[in-house]
Amino acid sequence: MTGFQVSFAMASDPRYLPVVRGAVGALTAAIGWDEAECRAIVLALDEAIANIMRHAYQGRSDGLIELQCRESADGLEVSLLDRGEPPDLSKICAREVGCNLPGGLGTHIIRDVMDSVSYQRTESGNRFLAVKRLRKNT
Amino acid sequence: MKISIRDVGLAKIVEVDGDVDLGTSGALRRTLFAALPETSVLALNLQAIRYIDSSGIATLIEVLNDSRRLNKQFILFGLSTAVEEVFRLTHVIRIFRIVETEQEALDDAPGPPAGGGL
Repeated sequence: MTGFQVSFAMASDPRYLPVVRGAVGALTAAIGWDEAECRAIVLALDEAIANIMRHAYQGRSDGLIELQCRESADGLEVSLLDRGEPPDLSKICAREVGCNLPGGLGTHIIRDVMDSVSYQRTESGNRFLAVKRLRKNT
Repeated sequence: MKISIRDVGLAKIVEVDGDVDLGTSGALRRTLFAALPETSVLALNLQAIRYIDSSGIATLIEVLNDSRRLNKQFILFGLSTAVEEVFRLTHVIRIFRIVETEQEALDDAPGPPAGGGL
């Protein structure tokens, strides 16, 4: 049986964020996470997409973002592709935890929630890959 | 997202209903920064917020920092489970003054000014 998967090709417009949250929330629930875990995964993906909108496309709303979420044998694999500015890897998770500075919160959320995260610069653009494993109760 | 403000004594209560994300946090930021200089206590009711992301949390941190600069009180109340989870994920829950109810937030407001020196 083929696992669940959803794909989006969307503009870098924040008005798409609720649409993605709705779809990814339903997908993670279908795969088997509980409500709190679904909310956390949805938040992490929302943060990753928002970072592309803010930093890769620098607030432009006409950039292309491609999202693929696919159920794997042990959880969820997420891929995001954009053609904007590459991420500055030195700034990812550079914020001191617990401080009162407003910036840099999103990358900490992504790292905390997802089990693995990577950023690649490819010929087709910037690729963000993340994996979340489903820990089944035995 | 819907935002409303009402005055209760010397405090301002801000109610937010809906999702606070990259697309809406700017409106919340503008509202809170406009209200802050005009009150002693700015209290934000988070109960009807269904979703908040890091841009929303960053907005609250900015307002908190400005409230300290202006010697005002910025208080959060009515945190839902979903909102509290995001506060914990961002490790900033301890920098805010958070109470459960509007009344507790109002208890932090100073009383009316004393009479005009009669």
